[in-house]
This record gives sequence, C-alpha cells and structure tokens, in this order.
Amino acid sequence: MSVIDIKGLHKHFGDLHVLKGIDLTVESGEVVVIIGPSGSGKSTLLRCLNFLEYPDEGSVKVNGEIIDPATSDLDKVRRHMGMVFQHFQLFPHKNVLHNVTIAPVNVLGLSQKKANAVARNLLAKVGLPDKEKAWPSQLSGGQKQRVAIARALAMDPDIMLFDEVTSALDPELVNEVLQVMQEMAAGGMTMVAVTHEMGFAREVADRVIMMADGLIIEEGTPKQVFEAPREERTRTFLSQIL
Amino acid sequence: MAFLTVIQEHFWGFFRATGLTLQLTAVSLALAVVIGLLFAFLKLSNNRVANVVADAYIGLTRGLPLIVQLMFLYFGISSIVVLSSFWAGSLALAFHAGGYVAEIFRGAIQNIDRGQTEAARSLGMSPRKAMRLIVLPQAFRRAIPSLGNQFIIGLKDSTLVAYLGVPELFSNAMTAAAANYKPFETYLVAGMYYLVLVVIFTWMVNKLEVRLTPHRQEATR
Repeated sequence: MSVIDIKGLHKHFGDLHVLKGIDLTVESGEVVVIIGPSGSGKSTLLRCLNFLEYPDEGSVKVNGEIIDPATSDLDKVRRHMGMVFQHFQLFPHKNVLHNVTIAPVNVLGLSQKKANAVARNLLAKVGLPDKEKAWPSQLSGGQKQRVAIARALAMDPDIMLFDEVTSALDPELVNEVLQVMQEMAAGGMTMVAVTHEMGFAREVADRVIMMADGLIIEEGTPKQVFEAPREERTRTFLSQIL
Repeated sequence: MAFLTVIQEHFWGFFRATGLTLQLTAVSLALAVVIGLLFAFLKLSNNRVANVVADAYIGLTRGLPLIVQLMFLYFGISSIVVLSSFWAGSLALAFHAGGYVAEIFRGAIQNIDRGQTEAARSLGMSPRKAMRLIVLPQAFRRAIPSLGNQFIIGLKDSTLVAYLGVPELFSNAMTAAAANYKPFETYLVAGMYYLVLVVIFTWMVNKLEVRLTPHRQEATR
C-alpha cells in the first residue's frame, strides 16, 4: 500500500512558483531519495508532505486518506510522520532523554516511565546510550542529529522525512548519521530523504528522484539515474556534485 | 551629624514602609506579567481586532506619563468601585508595566527560531502545546534580563503611588522631610533604601537566570 500519494501538487511563495505540478507515490518500506540543485523545490516538497507548508493545488493522500489542511486533523497526520531537519532543532531547554520523550508523553499520552523505556531503547539504537542526561548544547552535530532521529522515531511513525540532515555537519560527522539512516532503511522503514549524499543515495535508495525548477524531471533506480541519466540537466547536476 | 540622626529617627519607620513598597511592587508586577503575557499573545495573534486592541493598550501605557495614568485610574476606578488606595495604586502600576512587559514577551517569543515550532508541530503537537512546552519556556528564559530591568523600573515607579496617599517608603520620606526640615538627609536615607532593594533584586534576577538556564550553564563547564 502506498503511504504517500500526491497528485498535481503546486506551491507558491508570493510570486514564486516553487512546485509546478508534482506527482509522487511512496510505497510502504520504500526509500526515496530526492536530489537536485538548490532552489529546485526539494525541501518544499518534503515540507508539503507533512503540511509544514500547505499545498496550493493538488491532492495529498496519506495512508490512503485524502488530507485537506482546512478540514483534516493535521496534528494526527503528523503523528505518523517523523521529520528530521537540517539544523537539528533539538529543544535546548530539555535534556536528551526529555527531547525524545516530550512528544510521546504529551501527544500520545504515554506515562513518563514508559516513554523513558522507549527513549532509552532508541538512544541505544542510534548509538547514544550514555547521553540521556546531556543537554543538546553539549553534543556534537552528529550526536544532535542522531538524537533528533530518535526523537522522531519515538512517535513510532509510518514514514520518516529527512531534510538535508547532513548538510550542517562537519564532514567527519556525516557518516555516523548516514549509518543510522541506513540501519533504519534496512529495518524496513519508509523513508523520503532530500540529500546531497550521493553515496547514500546509491547504496540505500530504492528510487532516486531528480528535481529541477519545481518539477520532477527524472526518476528511477539509483543505477539508472546515476549511471545512465536520461536528462541533460541530471547529467549536468551529477557532474557538478560528484 | 544630621544624617545619622535622621537614620536613627526614621530607620524603623522607613523599614516598615519598605514592606508596603515591596508589596506594591510584587502585586503590581505579578499582575503585569499576566497582563503582559495576555497582550503579547493578542499582538502575535493573526486576528486583526486582537492586534488593534493590543496596539492601543501598549500605545496608551507607553504614551502617557505614569502619574497621569495613576491619577486617571485611581479617580476613574474609585468612581465605579470602592477600592483602597493600595489596590488602586497596584492596579495602575500593573496597567502601566503590563504594556512594557507585553513588548518584552512579544520580542522574546518572536526571537525563538521558527524551526523550534516546526519541530514541535512535526511531532504532532498542537499549536497550543508547541507554545506551552517548547516556545514559552525558552522565551521566558530569554526575557528574564529585560523583565528584571522592567521590575527594577517598577520598584522605582511605585514611589509615585505616594500621591494616591499610600504610606509607602517615599510617602514616609516626604512626611518626615516636611516635619524635620532636613529634606537632604531624609531623601538620602530613602534613596539608600531603594538602592539596597535594587541591588538585592538585581542579584536575585541574576541567580534566577542562571538557575533557569541549566543547558547554558553546563555547556560552559
């Protein structure tokens, strides 16, 4: 079953036409990587998936249900969609454990004790079992991003969205985050990732989507897109980035 | 020395009056925080009417001299309901400080990275929960230095309530100076009282700031 099914998606910011008619289906367990030059609308597309931005036109189906920002319970929709941001956005006034438990306790109504158990399990999974009492300001970028991943996973989402999650990291910290993502993919998590990490895309993605000027101009398996791109713009983009 | 005599004569009288000054300040500032938070939300709301109401209130409190507001509210309020001069004074001081506190809170809330709200919303929090659990605690910490400043101003502004007949510290000093013909020494003593209060208060605000900022404190270890 498709977790996400969007048709004819348009988004404007004032006069700027950012998304010009996007069709995209993401199947359960699929890992989709979105690539493309900056300004092509990748992040906006991702933010339309969990309605941090409202689409101007087109339909978005999540788990088979059409979502209308005007009438649907978006809080409920977002509960099933985890998101990880470029700049981490950990809550600086909460320690690591509470960053991970705050939503399960306050949104899902879990007891603090139960949420702690879930959080400890997840922190161990992302390789930070000994950091639960640390404050975000004491962590490296890579550690922050892994906590952010654990925080999103604590809601037990059906799908995870990654918005350039390694772009703000020092080069030597990129791998520890990608590794966690790779493990999640291997575990069957449905994922949509906007990234410039072509190595990750090649190894982990089931499908690579190339965006330019607010449109999907090419999509296919990593092998197709990276080794035999059909579009000139894909070739140019890849030659610049690889 | 005249100065020492004044201290001797008025130390305890001023000390008791200081209690009233502190009560006035505490009550008016506690109310001002509530009023300020309310109007900060009105100003930040997407509702145009709420914005206009907040702008009008903030404009009035900042645009009129405090003594005018005090007199206006005192005689205004007491013509409708019977209020002691203490409560009339407290309410007027709160009304005045509330405008400034509203602007402090508005600035602090707006200065919290939008990404924090987005992260909270992406976890399924409602706008209210995101505000209460994520934005406000951070905004409040950031507002403490400005709030502390505003509280010190509030403490000093409480002197004007003397003109409503509240026997607080400054009112006592005026009465004493008129009786002992030593205004210089008398106001010097009163001034020292205020100065000591401000120093203690500043120290408390600094303590509070450090205490409420564990993440920053530990980061510098």
